[in-house]
Amino acid sequence: MNKIETLCLLCSQPLQPVISWEMLLTNHFQPTICDKCSARFEHSPTATALYQYNEAMKDYLHQYKFLQDVALAKVFRQELYARFKNEKAIIIPIPMHPLKQKERTFSHMEELLKAANIPFIQLLEKTTTETQSSKNRVERVQTAPLFRLMVGAHVEHKQYLLFDDIKTTGTTLRHASEILLHAGARNVQSFTLING
Amino acid sequence: MKYKGWLLPLALRDFHEGRIWLKEYSPFSKEDIEKAIHHKYFHIIEGIQKVPHLKCSRCHNIDPQQFTTFECSKCQQQCIYCRHCLNMGRVSSCTQLMIWTGPPAIRTKKHPLEWAGQFTMLQQQAANELLESVKANRSHLLHAVCGAGKTELLFPTVHYALEQGLRVCIATPRTDVILELFPRFQKVFPQTIIHALYGGSPKQEGYAQLVLATTHQLYRFERAFDVMIVDEADAFPYTFDETLQRAVQKAKTENAPISFVTATPSQKLLTEYQNKSYSFIPKRYHDRPLPVPRFDALWSYEKSLKRGKIPQKLKQWTENRLTRKEPFLLFFPKVELMKIATPLFQLLDASIMAVHAEDPDRKEKVLKLRHEEVPGLLTTTILERGITIKNVQVAVIGAESTIFTSSALIQIAGRVGRNANFADGDVVFFHHGITTEMDDARTKILNYNKKGFLQ
Repeated sequence: MNKIETLCLLCSQPLQPVISWEMLLTNHFQPTICDKCSARFEHSPTATALYQYNEAMKDYLHQYKFLQDVALAKVFRQELYARFKNEKAIIIPIPMHPLKQKERTFSHMEELLKAANIPFIQLLEKTTTETQSSKNRVERVQTAPLFRLMVGAHVEHKQYLLFDDIKTTGTTLRHASEILLHAGARNVQSFTLING
Repeated sequence: MKYKGWLLPLALRDFHEGRIWLKEYSPFSKEDIEKAIHHKYFHIIEGIQKVPHLKCSRCHNIDPQQFTTFECSKCQQQCIYCRHCLNMGRVSSCTQLMIWTGPPAIRTKKHPLEWAGQFTMLQQQAANELLESVKANRSHLLHAVCGAGKTELLFPTVHYALEQGLRVCIATPRTDVILELFPRFQKVFPQTIIHALYGGSPKQEGYAQLVLATTHQLYRFERAFDVMIVDEADAFPYTFDETLQRAVQKAKTENAPISFVTATPSQKLLTEYQNKSYSFIPKRYHDRPLPVPRFDALWSYEKSLKRGKIPQKLKQWTENRLTRKEPFLLFFPKVELMKIATPLFQLLDASIMAVHAEDPDRKEKVLKLRHEEVPGLLTTTILERGITIKNVQVAVIGAESTIFTSSALIQIAGRVGRNANFADGDVVFFHHGITTEMDDARTKILNYNKKGFLQ
């Protein structure tokens, strides 16, 4: 995962290596996709997400999650790093069900953070293998608890930040945040890669 | 009494024979697969080979850049996967590939050929030479100009091989070519099970003794074919991607011959086969010379289009086609430029359309042109080969661009005058400076005509 990419991870066109003083002296990552591919993503105007859902994002999620291309975790590392480097809250990525994770062979949310060198912890556990995307709006909102606290997890009276890939109705994030607040968290905010 | 043991589902055998397949992705039930493995009907190999160097067992990719290592939640170890053939289902260190070693599928020797066509003398000779090579288990290069009737030339060879009970593959780098070939072969071999395999092809039943496949799909085969025919062997990306060439090698049985069929062979193919087993047809089936491209300067066409103006000469050319109701193809060097130009051309005629590689409707659009529902198409090089449209006229815009190699230009010129009733037509290379590739294309075409019409 740490190797330098010489080809764009999305279109396989050769990448021009960028070397600058800024890159050498600050925490800057080497680019992993070309300018053309990067221009296809649309930045989100909201403060709680990096990108808007669009065709490019659909392709990205398909390749990353469905085709299991873990290397794509690196695509947004610079942007994620910039967003999280001064974050005071404790970051918790939304967990996957263990069976699901074994099936996919990796946790896509954790890999995104790892690629960006962002420290995180895990306190939650997914209770169901159902996916939100397979349900309609009403079913989503009325769904039974999606998470529980991990055995032995200790929730402190601190600020937490939940991190998920995409927010559509917000049900997933609401469920997770209720559990944390109930267990004594001072404040729970959320941030997503994509605004759905 | 009821039989309680396990019977091998024949569909499973028919599907898996000759294929190398991810265990989790088999279209058959887990139980049947496990039972078949238990009966030693499958040889199981690891997805990624680590010695002597990293290699994907399916696509034979060895480029270290195309592998990624990660912490795998399934095997709880460092896992390596191949990004090169990712689209076909991920192959990683902890996945297994299955190769059929069980009882072979049943092949028939009855494959009637229903074709009433007639070969010209040149065609007959080449068809015989190709057949002789296959009979002698020898690789062969069939070099025939665009419109010489290459597909028909294959019929006797394919027919012979099928009746010998051999499994035959016709591979080509282009999906469009498969889509064009499939109905033609199904028509002349009505009793043969033929499968057409390309990205997104539908599920097909039975055991196909004749397989038409894109070279990409050959990653999924191993030692399957006794006769391998590579059509349009010079087309992108076959010539560029070494793994595709290795795929052809591994998809055939060890001693199976390869027949290369093309209008524009690379120098490498020519030197390899010219003095060994080589057939050459410089003339079209309808006995009329190839249309020779003409060069016409179109200075700063890119600037002009970007300013929202079609250069005068090009506009004139298009309007002429429209008034004469001649279907036309306009080839562009880049998708971006084509997208800028499309609305400008639609001002001339609102029904003009554009196609490019990622266009989901490209099949339909080409059909519309053929059925004269649209007057013309703007296209990238994807339509450079394999398509036949009656009385089509062709213009290349920016023929000096590097994407227009001499073989691409020869192929493009080869779209024109394929029909016996419309054996001539206009091929114009609009350019911003003449390149050696353009000269080369023209010289070669003139040469073919000279050779074909020696008095």
